[in-house]
Amino acid sequence: MIITTRDTDDVVIFDITGEIRRSDNMETTLHHLVKTHLDRGKRKIMLNLEKVEFIDSFGVGEILASYISTQNLGGRFKLFNISKKLLLIFQITMLTKVLDIYEDEDCALRSFGQA
Amino acid sequence: MSDGRLNAFLNRFADVRAAETRAATYLFTFFFLTTFSFYIIKPVKENFLIGVTPAWWPYADLATALLIGFVVAFNARLIDHLPRRAYMTGTILFFVSALFVFWYVFDTGQQLLARTPMIHSSAVYGVIPFQVIIRDIWPLPVFVFCFFSDVFIAMSVTQFWIAVNDTFDPYQAKRLIGLFVSGGLLGGIAGALLTSLLVRVVGPENLLLFCPGILLLVLATVHLLHGEQRKLRGGSEPPSPGPKARVGYLESFAAVRKNKYLLLLAGLLASAMVAGSLINFQFKIVVKDVYEYDVGRTSFLGNFYLGVLFLSTVFHWAATRRVLKNFGIRLALLVAPVFLLLGSLSIFLLPAGLFLVWAIFVRGSDKIFDNTVSQSVRELLYIPVPEDIKYRAKIFIDMFVNKFAVGLGAGLFLLLFHVSRFAYKPASTQVREIGFLVLGFIALWIVLIVVVYGLYPSVLKKDLNRKWIDANKAVKDNVDMDVTGRVFDALESRDRSTTLYIMNIFDLIRKGSLSPELKELLGFKQDELRARSLDCLLDVGGEVFFRGFEEAIADKDFEVEVRKVFASDDYKAVMEKRLEGIAGSESDIDRMEAAKLVGMMEPTPEVMRTLGLLLRDPSSQVVTYALGGVAVHRPREHVPLVLRHLESPLTLQDAQTALAAYGPAVEDVLKEALQDRNGPPGARRAIPEVLSRFGTQRSADILLAELACRQEDLEADIVEALYKIRAVRPDVRFKAGKVRQEILFLIERSYEIFLEEVLPGMGRPGADTRAEALLDLKIKRVFDLLTLIHPAEDIVKAYQNILQGTRKSVDYSLELLDNLLDRDLKSALFPLIEDLPPAERAARLRKAIPGLGQTSVRSRLK
Repeated sequence: MIITTRDTDDVVIFDITGEIRRSDNMETTLHHLVKTHLDRGKRKIMLNLEKVEFIDSFGVGEILASYISTQNLGGRFKLFNISKKLLLIFQITMLTKVLDIYEDEDCALRSFGQA
Repeated sequence: MSDGRLNAFLNRFADVRAAETRAATYLFTFFFLTTFSFYIIKPVKENFLIGVTPAWWPYADLATALLIGFVVAFNARLIDHLPRRAYMTGTILFFVSALFVFWYVFDTGQQLLARTPMIHSSAVYGVIPFQVIIRDIWPLPVFVFCFFSDVFIAMSVTQFWIAVNDTFDPYQAKRLIGLFVSGGLLGGIAGALLTSLLVRVVGPENLLLFCPGILLLVLATVHLLHGEQRKLRGGSEPPSPGPKARVGYLESFAAVRKNKYLLLLAGLLASAMVAGSLINFQFKIVVKDVYEYDVGRTSFLGNFYLGVLFLSTVFHWAATRRVLKNFGIRLALLVAPVFLLLGSLSIFLLPAGLFLVWAIFVRGSDKIFDNTVSQSVRELLYIPVPEDIKYRAKIFIDMFVNKFAVGLGAGLFLLLFHVSRFAYKPASTQVREIGFLVLGFIALWIVLIVVVYGLYPSVLKKDLNRKWIDANKAVKDNVDMDVTGRVFDALESRDRSTTLYIMNIFDLIRKGSLSPELKELLGFKQDELRARSLDCLLDVGGEVFFRGFEEAIADKDFEVEVRKVFASDDYKAVMEKRLEGIAGSESDIDRMEAAKLVGMMEPTPEVMRTLGLLLRDPSSQVVTYALGGVAVHRPREHVPLVLRHLESPLTLQDAQTALAAYGPAVEDVLKEALQDRNGPPGARRAIPEVLSRFGTQRSADILLAELACRQEDLEADIVEALYKIRAVRPDVRFKAGKVRQEILFLIERSYEIFLEEVLPGMGRPGADTRAEALLDLKIKRVFDLLTLIHPAEDIVKAYQNILQGTRKSVDYSLELLDNLLDRDLKSALFPLIEDLPPAERAARLRKAIPGLGQTSVRSRLK
């Protein structure tokens, strides 16, 4: 899994490539990265899942932990560009009830303005 | 005086911010001059009224009660239709003109009454008809003047508070209210002093000639204030309801009638006013009994009001803020009625010779409290009322309910006067008989205080909503994390190992979590699964075990059949042998299958030994499955191994789940690991979460004790865990003293961060935001800890609204905290969370803890 970070105004976007899964070669975790940005005062976090092929239970835990950490500080945590297959799994497991998921980056960015 | 010096001067008396200096000064002057003129008018009015027979007294109040409603309606329409400046100018000029007329009437009337049938010197100007009319209708002018006086003070005070509302928001007003009340008290002192000094020289009626001059100064102040309001509002006009928002007294009444809180508030104020009105009749009876003549009586009244106002000022400066700050609104509200209750009871014990002293004491106390604590608290009670309703309700309550209550008091006096034949009774008996009524209304007053105060926080909270949901709760309420993890693991294992896949599916079946949608999802690759289900485990030699996966998992007997297989001795023997083989395999997949299998087997010593081996596996994926087995069998001997896996982020969540599965039985082990200063830091930070899942009293105590050790790297996790326990276990008790200590420590640490890290970087381009973020986190932790000892939902709402609310909801939140927190916590926390300019915040923080910034908090605490 490769995570690159970019900032758009006060929004931090993580572009993730590969699989969000447990790996012994992992240098850092998604949740750790999100917390680092929260510690710097960032409160608007987005995950670009366009190039994410699969997520395992560890990956789901990381996404939910990131969501909880952000939300409980009064921040907003959003996902976008999620594949139809992953979206279906998210729907069946009810993750869509707690996670904000948008079709693309523009929609996700615009939603901050509406909040 | 420059604005800076003026601000420094005002700050000796009240918390006035630099930008508020001029407006606050003008409002102070406005109220000063208004009460200055009123306390000239008041003794003159009272003197004339006491001069007529007591049987007539109540009619003055009754006239006010009956007619003031029309004035209220008229005044409301004026406010509605006229620009604020024109409205103020017009009404003040009307009062000026009217005062000249009353002076003429009283001057003429007094001379006519003294020298009848002589004609007053003004007759030469052709005003004889007026003089005749005045003589014929006397003492009607006295009652008209009483009514005018009531209209004057009611409208002036309403105008003043409207000016305050136009200038400041409620929270600013609350801060400055003490200063304005001081202005009013000083103005009253000046008026009463002038009356007292000059009445013997110029006579009562000529004192009225001072008032028009003073009111013209009020007019000048109003115009200056208007300019300042425009500045504060960036050039815009003060808000006005506009011509469509007509506010008559009926509309004002409707606003109160529809609101239970306002209705009770009106009742509270009315009962206080009736009691005050009856006390005033007692006072008049005693004064009339002692002072027979105009000048002496006016002089006494001037001195009385001078004393009352002087003591009010002293009490206000010395005690009002302290009473409000230290005892809160409820006790501040109770001070007056309790004091008056005791004073009124004493009338039944005192001899008649001491009645003047008693009257001065009781009436004086009533007025002193009314001018100080009660007035301040009354304004505070309006804070939770929505702005538009408050605007209407205040008009109704201030100008109608109050006067109606005075009228009711007058009616009761009139009734008593005739029924009890007061004309034939000595003053002492009259006073005592009125005393019974006074006691009744004071009792009602006290009851209503208790009821209103009970409603106050709930009214305050009504419009205070959460700005965001509790994410932990949202996840817990909507997502079954165990099932979700298994679904993702099942899908993940599908391409890796059919055996693992099927075992994961079986787990889902056992948990009854295999919904039709999930079956469909898991059946994506049905062809690959067909006939390969458990064959590798059961050595069925490639024979088709299931016709098709969907059919199999749809079969309700499937689980029963598999269970039977698992329970058979032959199967156990085969599986133990198989487990031994694959647990030591080179292949990660084999070991993962073994680890998963352990969780499905009987916990024999051999199986547990294998589990121990798998928990030591170098692959985090194997360990994860093994931790799943731990969660099933909960072997005590493997707890240390599980604790080791708290250190790695890859196994952290599963290790926490496994430990949570043990339940409170491992609290002592976790406590020891948490307290081990040499233990792995990551593992120690992960333990509070496990304890929070137990949610027991002991877990809470362990966490609180560790928090008291003040290790900064554990602080966030411990506070979060305590907050979670509070959120789901309201029955758990936290020792308030210990929690307060930690809250105060965190507040002090926040002070230090602001002064030493945030403040120096402020205004610098590209300054690091981490210090500010750290300060935010510290403040959040303060609020999280506050939920342990105060109503959690209220604290959370207050925090969220302070962080993200509108100006109004921030005000409500601060007011709510003001009611919830004790004095020490308030005085420590408020300088951190109030909306203050950085320099002012820094000054307050330094003032709150002298020496801060020179010596670090931690070293001082050591």
